Amino acid sequence: MAELSFLLVVFPMLAACSCFLMRHNTIYSLIVIISGGLLIGSAILLIPLVPFSFSPKSFLGINIHEILTAADFLLLFIILYFGVKYKNWLINSLAIFQIVLLGYLEFFLINGSETYPIIYCDNLSLIMVLIICVVGSIICVQALPYMKKHETHLKIGVSRQPHFFFVMILFLGAMNGVVLSNDMILFYFFFELTTVCSFLLIGHDKTERATKNAVRALWMNSLGGAAFITALVFIYTRLGTLDMQYIIHADSKSQLVILSMALLCFAAFTKSAQFPFQSWLLGAMIAPTPVSALLHSSTMVKVGVYLALRLAPAIEGLFLTQCVTIFGAFTFLFAAALAVGQSNGKKVLAYSTISNLGLIFACVGLNTPESIAAAIILIIFHAVSKALLFLCVGTIEQHIESRNIEDMRGLYTKMPLTALISVMGVITMIMPPFGLLLGKWMAMEAASSFLCGIVMIAMGSALTVMYWARWAGILMSDPFAGKFKLEKQPVLTWAALFSLCIGVGVLSLLSPWIYRWCIIPIMGSDYLASYSTDYGIFENAFGVFAVLPLSLVAVAGFIIAILAVKSATHSRITMPYLSGLQTEEPRVFKGPMNRLITAEAGNYYLSSIFGEDKLTPWINLGAVILLTLVIGGAL
Amino acid sequence: MLHFDCGSCNGCDIETLACLTPVYDIERFGVINVGNPMHADILLVTGTVNPRNKKVLVNLYDQMPNPKVVVAIGSCGLSGGIFKDAYNVLGGIDKVIPVDVYVPGCPAKPEAIIDGVVMALKKYEVIKKKHSDSVPSRMKWRKIAP
Amino acid sequence: MRETLLAIFIGLFATPLLGGLINGLDRIITARLQGRIGPPVWQPFYDVIKLLSKEKMVVNVWQAFCAYAYLSAAAISVVLFFLKSDLLLILFIQAVGAVFVVIGALSSTSPFSQVGAHRELLQILSYEPLLILVVAGIYLEIGSFKIDDIYAWGQPLIFKLPFLFIALGYALTIKLRKSPFDLSTSHHGHQEIVKGVLTDYSGPFLALIEIGHWYDIILILGLCSLFWATGWIGMIILVAITYFIEILIDNVTARMTWRWMIGYVWAMGLTLSIVNLIWINLA
Repeated sequence: MAELSFLLVVFPMLAACSCFLMRHNTIYSLIVIISGGLLIGSAILLIPLVPFSFSPKSFLGINIHEILTAADFLLLFIILYFGVKYKNWLINSLAIFQIVLLGYLEFFLINGSETYPIIYCDNLSLIMVLIICVVGSIICVQALPYMKKHETHLKIGVSRQPHFFFVMILFLGAMNGVVLSNDMILFYFFFELTTVCSFLLIGHDKTERATKNAVRALWMNSLGGAAFITALVFIYTRLGTLDMQYIIHADSKSQLVILSMALLCFAAFTKSAQFPFQSWLLGAMIAPTPVSALLHSSTMVKVGVYLALRLAPAIEGLFLTQCVTIFGAFTFLFAAALAVGQSNGKKVLAYSTISNLGLIFACVGLNTPESIAAAIILIIFHAVSKALLFLCVGTIEQHIESRNIEDMRGLYTKMPLTALISVMGVITMIMPPFGLLLGKWMAMEAASSFLCGIVMIAMGSALTVMYWARWAGILMSDPFAGKFKLEKQPVLTWAALFSLCIGVGVLSLLSPWIYRWCIIPIMGSDYLASYSTDYGIFENAFGVFAVLPLSLVAVAGFIIAILAVKSATHSRITMPYLSGLQTEEPRVFKGPMNRLITAEAGNYYLSSIFGEDKLTPWINLGAVILLTLVIGGAL
Repeated sequence: MLHFDCGSCNGCDIETLACLTPVYDIERFGVINVGNPMHADILLVTGTVNPRNKKVLVNLYDQMPNPKVVVAIGSCGLSGGIFKDAYNVLGGIDKVIPVDVYVPGCPAKPEAIIDGVVMALKKYEVIKKKHSDSVPSRMKWRKIAP
Repeated sequence: MRETLLAIFIGLFATPLLGGLINGLDRIITARLQGRIGPPVWQPFYDVIKLLSKEKMVVNVWQAFCAYAYLSAAAISVVLFFLKSDLLLILFIQAVGAVFVVIGALSSTSPFSQVGAHRELLQILSYEPLLILVVAGIYLEIGSFKIDDIYAWGQPLIFKLPFLFIALGYALTIKLRKSPFDLSTSHHGHQEIVKGVLTDYSGPFLALIEIGHWYDIILILGLCSLFWATGWIGMIILVAITYFIEILIDNVTARMTWRWMIGYVWAMGLTLSIVNLIWINLA
């Protein structure tokens, strides 16, 4: 156990450092691939061991607690350094605030040695570790060919890739640390470490905008860190321990503890870029696409929902939990609305991430066995599908040099395989029997008795369908005779895309068993697992979702439809209808005086309703009010 | 049924549209007016053909899936009518695409047009039979008795 | 087991027949309302058989995929309905079909087809929340999403969920492609831009979409019938009256703009639903 945990948390840091030091292309590529493989391997080896917990007493002969304290302060001073460097008083003051509170907590409050385990791993941690290691490693591996192209494109003289992969792998280690730690101080350390990593990654390109966005990400996440450390001080004052498992099950109705729960939720919201903190995640789009993929799918934003999910039993039955639901549903609805108004592909993906995370928060807030299961399923499938879509968009972007959806019109003729995989990714986002929809189904059934939630979720899910469907549609939008030439991509890119694409299908098929083996144990004593999964059919007292039978039928339907496509290639191909004026070119018609005119059709973005500049101020205002409700409701 | 006005004086067009009204009600025969060649079986053409609209006529005809029939309506559609000798008139519809049914008149009476359309429907069955004989045998199960 | 097979059989084969028949009756009634005689009642079947026998012609081969996907999604949702499965799941699967029609239409570059596809999306956007809220309302009343529990419920739901039934009426109007919500494509040529979302589908593929539409009609009428699930007679009368009102509305209204549609359907439909949901919640 200890060895595996070491492999998962500390080894990536060492690998990262060696990446940074060995600046030769082949060497760091090898290090990335090997450490990716090792991470996946150790995550899989972890499966039979859970649940376990232990406490490493010392590391290289030094007391682990002292190392931790030193590292914590070091990290905060690094943040302070960046604050000073970029002359941001907000970061400075937040960093100083955190240093003071941490000092107070470490030197004045905490006394004696803790007896609780520092590392704790149950099935929830296991699921998170698997997501981080598998999806994260795939993204890192795909980043190798991507970054090579990226730097050639930007014409950078001295390669900064060692630095890039240093942070990427460090990030994976930090994430593993977050989900494995039971000591809140340790959790806080890794929490801040992910903040710093994301700051470094967003600012990687060193352009003015990149730096600006990175600084914004830093201060917003520092806000979360400050809330976190404040909560820790409150908790320690009242409960006298920082043992996470104890805190969750303490069942203390003390005002201070409830307030600190609200603060922790606040920290989770900032990490998961919920409204009004969405701007850091949107700004993060400036970074190379693997970074976005990493931030959005398996790491960073998942810290927030993980934290909320951990706390869920502690806030059950409080007013706070309802506030979290309303807040999450609000984010789900309005992030989807903003996504409808976007033509920038990466921004659509970003808003969709925010929206899905909102749904997960709403599920956590509902706090029923169904909704908790829904939240976990959403986390798993969102990670895989979103990573797939981001990698697709990254590949497309490098090829057509645009992120605009309108420029992806008829991409199928240029890069057929990538376009098809992207459409596949979209289908996994919005269609049954894939896992994301299974999660949404559970969420809706759980939310049905909560009026405010279900109305917002119903509207949000309709908007979601809208922005995904039109994207998938225009990727295929070109008359086409059935013969195409496959595009060329590096092997690693194909490997990443195909493994994610197949992975999401297989996982969806296995979802009843994932539920039975992984999710039911998580519920433990806190919730009464309610779904039975016989014959691969989810069923409880009031709902039924036949995953396995539906998947089989869907596969059959898919095969029939593909055969239809094959036979359609023999049929007569005609040009699209252009009032009888069409020419040999699909979009060109003959206008007056025999001039050739290109017919143009754009998507409806409804920017008069869903425009970013129109909606954002109001949404932020609403979110601030709801946040006040979250904090104030705890008082 | 697709109605295309090549270059008519609108006389025949108005009579054609009159077929849709309650008085004549061409939908009794299951015929409806569509705006799209891809959904049409019968192409109903009024007016004379000139070099410009000839291309459109051919395009529309090509975009109709087989089997299909063409009905030419009115003197102009049949032969060019009184515009036959005009410098820009090529003549009747059958100069450009094969015509199956000719409906004379200036303008053609709605009764005559309906009669022409029904005749076209009969001809459609004949053409369909020929068409299904010409398609590969593995698709033959789709053949439906008239 | 026998019952399951029977349900699958009815769902797969009887529903398109019934759907086509309803469509034929619809055309006759519409014609009579307009002072015409109208086509024979079997005309929709003649049309589909004719389309199936036509030449295969496509703009983009993926249209074939989308047509088959739509048909199978629609058929599966109806079969699940007859298997008395989960209502929410049925809605999700029905939405899959609708999305595939849109994707197929978007795969052509014709502006008519594109505009039609986007209008179809706006229609989905309008009715989807209403359908979900209707299902949520049913759950709040009887405590289950399963259709067999609804049949087991003692009294007609319409007395408790009258506003939700009206909201369902909006969804029904949109789904049946009736005025004033027939934006994406219409049965009536006189108010159509070419053929909207269906512009570039032709021949056999158009026939598949038509059959899929018949499944959809039955599904959504089935949803209406659940509001009087206590007896066959009540069920049929309720559905017949609802459908007749739909035809009436179709004939007395004209097509409106999509802005009006979203505004009206969301404002009216959501208000009605929320009022009804609050009512059940408090009762």
